[in-house]
Amino acid sequence: MKTVTTLLLPRLWPLKRPVASGMMKRSFRLCILGGIGAAFWIGIFGVSMRVLRYFRGIEEVGDLILAKLLSMMLITVFSLLIFSAILTCLSKLYLSKDLSLVFSLPVERHQIFIARWLESTFDSAWMVMLYTLPVLIAYGIAYDASSMYYAYLPVALVPLAAVASGIGALVVILAVMVIPANRIRTLFVFFGLFAFIAVYIAFRLLRPERLVDPEAFATVLVYLHALKSPDFPFLPSTWAYDGIHGLLAGDAAQGLFAASLSLAATGLLYCAMVITADTVYFSGLSRAQTVKERLLEPRRKPALKKSRLPGPVRAFAEKEIKTFFRDQTQWSQVFLIAALVVIYIYNFKVLPLERSPIQALYLQNLLSFLNMGLVAFVLIAVTARFAFPAVSLEKEAFWLVRACPVRIRTYLWVKFVIYFLPLLILSEILIVGTNLLLKVTPLMMGLSTVTLCLLVPGVVCLGVGLGAAFPDFNSENPAQSVTGWGGLLFMMLGAFFVGAVILLEAGPVYRFFMARVKGHALFLSDWIFAGVSLAGVLVLAGLAVWVPMRHGEKKLTEMDI
Amino acid sequence: MIVLNRLTKRYTKTLAVNDLSLAVPKGEIFGFIGPNGAGKTTTIKMMAGLMAPTSGSVSICGIDMAENPREAKARIGFIPDRPYLYEKLTGMEFLKFIARVYGMVPDGFKEKAQFLLDRFALADWADDLIEAYSHGMCQRLVMVAALLHDPEVIIVDEPMVGLDPVAVILVKRIFRELAEKGVTLFVSTHSLGVAQDVCHRIGIIHRGRLIATGSLDQLRERARAADADLEAVFMALTAENSNPM
Repeated sequence: MKTVTTLLLPRLWPLKRPVASGMMKRSFRLCILGGIGAAFWIGIFGVSMRVLRYFRGIEEVGDLILAKLLSMMLITVFSLLIFSAILTCLSKLYLSKDLSLVFSLPVERHQIFIARWLESTFDSAWMVMLYTLPVLIAYGIAYDASSMYYAYLPVALVPLAAVASGIGALVVILAVMVIPANRIRTLFVFFGLFAFIAVYIAFRLLRPERLVDPEAFATVLVYLHALKSPDFPFLPSTWAYDGIHGLLAGDAAQGLFAASLSLAATGLLYCAMVITADTVYFSGLSRAQTVKERLLEPRRKPALKKSRLPGPVRAFAEKEIKTFFRDQTQWSQVFLIAALVVIYIYNFKVLPLERSPIQALYLQNLLSFLNMGLVAFVLIAVTARFAFPAVSLEKEAFWLVRACPVRIRTYLWVKFVIYFLPLLILSEILIVGTNLLLKVTPLMMGLSTVTLCLLVPGVVCLGVGLGAAFPDFNSENPAQSVTGWGGLLFMMLGAFFVGAVILLEAGPVYRFFMARVKGHALFLSDWIFAGVSLAGVLVLAGLAVWVPMRHGEKKLTEMDI
Repeated sequence: MIVLNRLTKRYTKTLAVNDLSLAVPKGEIFGFIGPNGAGKTTTIKMMAGLMAPTSGSVSICGIDMAENPREAKARIGFIPDRPYLYEKLTGMEFLKFIARVYGMVPDGFKEKAQFLLDRFALADWADDLIEAYSHGMCQRLVMVAALLHDPEVIIVDEPMVGLDPVAVILVKRIFRELAEKGVTLFVSTHSLGVAQDVCHRIGIIHRGRLIATGSLDQLRERARAADADLEAVFMALTAENSNPM
């Protein structure tokens, strides 16, 4: 165990170093990030308390529903932990840059494996655990649990994370025996997305909202039976549930038994990992060092045919398109977006508008208006994944951009154009598709499409510009650059921009709509109001394009590489 | 000290190292040269225990790398061409980490580390974060780390990359001193000047096969190029082996 601890030291030592004088800016950013994280935590706690108190107030079935919800939450947490652990273990065990150093040292293979498993357990679980705690604490408060319940939570959650991470590590080590590690990440992401979409669709088809609506069931007995049906007894999440549920009811013996099961499973997995690591870990790692192979052969034809673009611009545009489509990790993301579009539009299709007590025309147009905001938020998320890391994707090859005779401004505008067109098409598909399902008025259809045309350039420029201002050329995964301070700033400014545009449009749209409903003509004040709002929207859209691109250009030009 | 026995490494489509056999005795500096893609780094990775051979074996001080990698690695000081260093550690912390892994006692480590840091002109930067180091400083720090535990065998991949002329002279001198003390050095390099200057014996690898080994004189004789320098010998031997018979 001493060697395992030693192998973790390069990760631990930097943590105990005192904050240097130049770290104040970083500390400030961490404080803001921490503040936002704390706000989310408190929000989850507040919502959980409200839900728990509501259900506890329902006689007979309230407790059953809460028990079922707890069980479902723990199954979801366990699944998330396994998926997260698979991706983390793959990186830590096979793709980390320091593996050549660690493997040249005189340590046993299983010691390296166990050290990496411990790291993976922490990395893949800490956030899930952190945001599961407010729900569990809310359960404790709602059920007036004793202090033993709160002390028990780590006993239930830590083995759950350890088992999930152990399963993830074993899945990875066995999978790498069949497929080289440098290819497997793409496949895991594909499998994960398939699983996610399958689970989501299954979840939608089950219509879980019926669980809180006993009238939807044929009889009360069927309903109670559905709630009381036991979970699969060999699942670690079931043991965690049994323990937590037992402690909520003051049954310490049940908690102890469940904890013993979890710890025994962790011990068993530990032994399995040691044996597997000594047997096959090194051969898998050797295979990971072989030449990368592709799923499909790359196209040899030029990406842009007969373009009139100037040479350097065309060169960058071609490079951008080719590298994007040849990066297999991007394919899964494109696939995810396609699924997202289907799910998004499907959700509008199942809206029970005809059963609403509110006037259908009013509701349809209200939803269409709100839908603009929703589509814009989807746009921000997709931009964060693709356009924001666009500059960071250059990685250590960025010296080439700086060395070649092309202005940074031109380089950034090439990036903008590459991402603008697909994102505009995506946004318009979402808004037009959902508006058609909502059967909105031509005015709302026109307003939505034009608004999106104004929002997309601003959001993409915010992404490209701030991505250029906060690049991360050293990251193993540039897509993760959005998880830093620059990404947070992009999200906040993007949300502000979208919110401001929607708010500016809300007033005139309401007046136009009410005039139509009441059958009277528009007043001069209505037109002035609309004109001022439109001018405000145009100014905002212009600023969102100009300011971040200039800021990104300035920062990137000044950057020492 | 180092014995490679019919070492072979096959990637999916490529035979990177083909049936390579070699013995390097104690106290010898063996130069390993070859064109790009010849199989030098793959051979070195197998010798350092970073990669499993498809067939054949590596023995370090009589210890089989496949059977007892821990014991074999404990006798090696490995200096890769593109070393990974933990950038958030200081130079001294990195050495401390290496010392702990090799099981060195804390007191002995400090003296040894300080001595080597002085020798490689890194003492003034010992407490700075590695992320602030230049490429040459990183290379020198890796050399310090490799020498820290007094290895019996040193395996070096491109030792002079990124080093200034003063450091190059220093490294050559240190290599000679180590060899005199009985340490075996296996030096893979593109720099034929380095191989000619410091190596007792040179092996030329081409397309995964060891096509010639021997002292410079023996290689000249083999290339039928008396008085030629290593560059000319290298060109003649690789050209000879490029032409299909």
